[in-house]
Amino acid sequence: MRVNALRRALIGAIAVALALYPLLRPDDRYRHTVLIMIFLLGIMAVGWNVIAGYTGYVSLGQSAFLGLGAYTVGILTRYVAVSPMVLAPLGGVVAAAVAVLLGLTMLRAREHAFVIITIAFLFLMQAIGLNLRGFTGGSNGITLPLPGWDADLGNVPFYFVFLGLLVLSVLMAWWIRRSKLGMGLVSIREDEDKAAAIGVRTSVYKILAFVASAVLVGVAGGVYAYFLTFIDPRGMFDILVSVQIVLACLLGGRGTLWGPVLGAFVIIPLNEYTVGIATGEGVRLFVFGLALILVVLFLPRGIIPTVRGLLERRRRGVVPFERRPVHVRPAAVEQVAVPEPARPLLELDGLTRSFGGLRAVEDCSFTIGAGTRTALIGPNGSGKTTVFNLVTGMMRPDAGAILLDGERIDRMLPWDRAYLGLGRTFQLTRLFPQLSVVENVVAPLREFRWRDLAADAVRGHEAERARELLEFVGMADFARVPAGRLSFGQQKLVELAQVLMLEPRLVLLDEPAGGVNPGLIERIADLIRTLNRQGITFLIVEHNMPMVLDLCDPILVMARGRVIAEGSPSAIQSDPAVLDAYLGQEWGKATEQVQA
Amino acid sequence: MTRLLQTILLGLLIGGVYALFASGLTLIFGVMRIINVAQGAFLVLAALFTFELFRRFGIDPLLAVFITTPVMFAIGWLVYRTMIARIRTAPVSMSVLLTFGLAIMLEGIMGMTWKNVFRSVTPSYYNESFHLGPFFLPKGLVFGSALAVVVLVCLYLLLTRTWAGRAIRGATENLEGAQLVGVDIRAVAAFTFAVGIATTGAGGSILSVIYAFFPASHYLWISRTLGIVVLGGMGSVPGAVVGALILGVAEALTARYIGPQWSVVVFYVVILVVLLVRPQGIMGSRLREDVVA
Repeated sequence: MRVNALRRALIGAIAVALALYPLLRPDDRYRHTVLIMIFLLGIMAVGWNVIAGYTGYVSLGQSAFLGLGAYTVGILTRYVAVSPMVLAPLGGVVAAAVAVLLGLTMLRAREHAFVIITIAFLFLMQAIGLNLRGFTGGSNGITLPLPGWDADLGNVPFYFVFLGLLVLSVLMAWWIRRSKLGMGLVSIREDEDKAAAIGVRTSVYKILAFVASAVLVGVAGGVYAYFLTFIDPRGMFDILVSVQIVLACLLGGRGTLWGPVLGAFVIIPLNEYTVGIATGEGVRLFVFGLALILVVLFLPRGIIPTVRGLLERRRRGVVPFERRPVHVRPAAVEQVAVPEPARPLLELDGLTRSFGGLRAVEDCSFTIGAGTRTALIGPNGSGKTTVFNLVTGMMRPDAGAILLDGERIDRMLPWDRAYLGLGRTFQLTRLFPQLSVVENVVAPLREFRWRDLAADAVRGHEAERARELLEFVGMADFARVPAGRLSFGQQKLVELAQVLMLEPRLVLLDEPAGGVNPGLIERIADLIRTLNRQGITFLIVEHNMPMVLDLCDPILVMARGRVIAEGSPSAIQSDPAVLDAYLGQEWGKATEQVQA
Repeated sequence: MTRLLQTILLGLLIGGVYALFASGLTLIFGVMRIINVAQGAFLVLAALFTFELFRRFGIDPLLAVFITTPVMFAIGWLVYRTMIARIRTAPVSMSVLLTFGLAIMLEGIMGMTWKNVFRSVTPSYYNESFHLGPFFLPKGLVFGSALAVVVLVCLYLLLTRTWAGRAIRGATENLEGAQLVGVDIRAVAAFTFAVGIATTGAGGSILSVIYAFFPASHYLWISRTLGIVVLGGMGSVPGAVVGALILGVAEALTARYIGPQWSVVVFYVVILVVLLVRPQGIMGSRLREDVVA
C-alpha cells in the first residue's frame, strides 16, 4: 500500500510539474518541443499498448495512424477555412475507420501474419501518399497554415493539446484495462482459443482494441501536422516512428499502464542525444536498432514489471503457493436444472475431419443423453480430442453435423456455442496464467452484450458467484493467486469452476484425472457426480479406467476416428471389438490360442 | 503483342532472381517460425560487399558469389549464435521485433559506412542486351537470372540429397518428430539460418548488377520478398519460386501498363489480400495445430 501511495504521489507531482512548466518557463522553447515529442510518442505508445500489450497483437504499422490523421487534416485545410486544431478530431475518425477495416484482417491472421499485414499496410499508405500526387501532393507534401495565435506563445498551445491527449490516452487505457473489454483482451493475449471457448466474442474485442489503439493517435496526427506545418509521405508514414513506439512500450513495460509513458520519456531524450552527436541517419538507426535488440534479448518484460518483480520478492519472499493444502468444503452449487429423461442432448452425425492425409475423425456418429455421465475412451490417436475440438468449435468439420439439444451448432462460432451452454476443460489445463484465480473464474461470458464491455471487469455479483464456485471446488483460499502459479491439479479444479461460470448444460472434460494425484481424483469424481445430480450432462475423455468404470455410464469407445462400441461399463469390458482396438488383432488371436 | 511478350519475358527473368531472394526467408520461417525481417538488409549488405569487391579488386559481381555466399553464411551463423538462439522459446512477436531491430541496426551501419547514396555495380556487360528476334534482354539480367537458377538448384540438391537437407525438411514438417528421431534441432536451426542468410550472398551479388541500391532500400526488398513468400505459402521453398515468378510478371506488367511507381504496390496488396483470403498461400499447407497442448 505504501508503495502505491508513493507511486500515486510521484505521478501526480510529475503531472503538475509538466502542466506548470510552460507557464513558469515560457521561453524555454527547445524543452517545450522536446516535451511535445515525448507526449506525442507517449500517446502513440499508450495506443500501441492496447493492441500489443493487452491483446497480444504486435503491430509495426502503428505510425500509419499518425500519418492518416495528419493527412486528413492536411488535405482538409485546403478546402475548409477552419483551424486545423478543430479538424484534428476528424483525423481520429479516419484513423478509427481504417482501424476497423484493417482489424478485419485480425479475424484470420494471427501472430506473424498480423505483423506482416501491418508492415505492408504502412508501406502501402506511404506509396499511396507518394503516388496520388493530385490528392496528397506526392513527395512535395502539403504545407499547412501557420498557427493563428500570437507568435510570442510559441508552441505552448501545442504543448497543452498534446499533454491533454496524453492524459486522455492514459485514462482510456486505464478504463479499458479495468473493464470487461480489457479482461477479454487480456484473455485473448493469454490464450485466444480458450477465450473463445468460454464465450469471449474475440472478433469484436480485437477490432475494438485496434480502434482504441488508433483513434487518439489519429487525433494527435492531425495536431502534429499543424505543429509541423509541413507533411510528406516519408515523414508521416515512417517505420522508424513505429520502431520508437514499440521500443518505448517494450522498454517501459508492455501491458502496464505507465510503461509506455515512461518509455517515451527515455526514448525521445535518447533520440535528441543521437541527433546531437552526429549528422546523418546512420547513427540514429544504429542506436535504435541496437536498443531494440538489447531490450528484446535482455529486458523483454520492460522496466516497470522487472522493478515490480524485484520489489515484491524483497517484500515477502517467494510464496510457495503449491504447498498449501486444498481445503474442500461441501457442495454449494445452486440447483441449475432438473434432470430430465434421457432425451438426446448432443448428437454427432457422420462427423469427419482430416489433417492433410490423416483422417483424425471419420464418419463419427453418436448421441449423448441428457443427464448422463458419458465416457469417451479409446487408444491414443483415436480422435477423442479432435471430437472435442469439433464440438466446441475450435475446428470446423469437413463433413457431418453436430446438434446440441436439437439445434445445429457445427457452423457456429465457439462463443455462440458457449452461450448455448457448452463448456469444456482441457487435457493440459488452459487457464490464463497471468490472471488471478478469481479473474479466471469470472472471465467466462454467458452472452454478448455491448454495454457489458464497459462494465467493471469483476462485478459484485460475479465475484460472489465465483467465490461460491471456488469454494465448491475447494480453491477459495487461492482466489488472489495468479493462476500460473498453481499446481496442475489445482489448475484442473479452477478450470472446472471456470466452466461452471457458464452455467453449462453440457460439459466436456478432457482427462480430468490425468496427471492428478489419487486423492484429488476421488474429489474430482465426487464433484462431477454432485454437478451431474444437479442437471449438468458430462462427456468425459479419460484414460484412468477405474475412474471411468466407476463414474460413467454409458461408455463410448473410439478407434480410428469413429465410435466402435457403446454400452454399460460391464458390457464394454468384455466387448471383443474394444479389446481388439486397445490391444490389437494379434493379442486377440493369442488369447484364443491359449484358450484353445 | 511483342511489347506484352517482352514484358512477360522480363518479368519471368526478374522472377527467377526474386525466387532466390525469397528462398532464404521462407526456409528460415519454415524451420524456425521466425520472420527474418532483416533478410532485405542482409541482401543489400551483400550487394555492398560485391560493390567493394568490384571497385577495389575488379572482381566480376557474378563471380563474387563465391566470396559473398560463404561470408554471409558465416554472418548468419554468428547472428544465430549471438541473438536468435536466445529467443527460440519466446513468442513469435518477439522474434519479429528482434530481427527488425537487426535490420535497422544494419541499415545504420551501412549508412555510416557507405552513405545513403544510390550505387550499382557496372561490369562491361552492364549496359548491353541480347537481341532475340524482336526481344531485348539485358545481359546483366539474363546472367543474373541464370545464376539465380543455378544457386536455387544447388539449394534444392542440398535440401533433397544431403543428410543436413533432409534434417531441415524434416524439421520443417514436424519439429517434435524430427527431434524424436535424433535430429539435433538446435544444430539444424543454426545451419538453416546460416543457409538462409547465405542465399542473400548470392542474391546480393546478383542484385548489384540488376538494380541500383542504397542502405534504406532494404525495406523495398523485404516488402517484395514477404509478398512472394506470403503468396507462395510461408515456409515452402517451391511456393516461393512460384510466387516469385507470378509477382515478377505482375510487377513488370504493372510497371509497363500502369506506371513504375505503382509496381511495388502490387506486393503490398498481394500481402493484404492473400493473408485475408487464403492465409496459407498457394503451396503452404495448413498444419495440424495441436489445440491440445
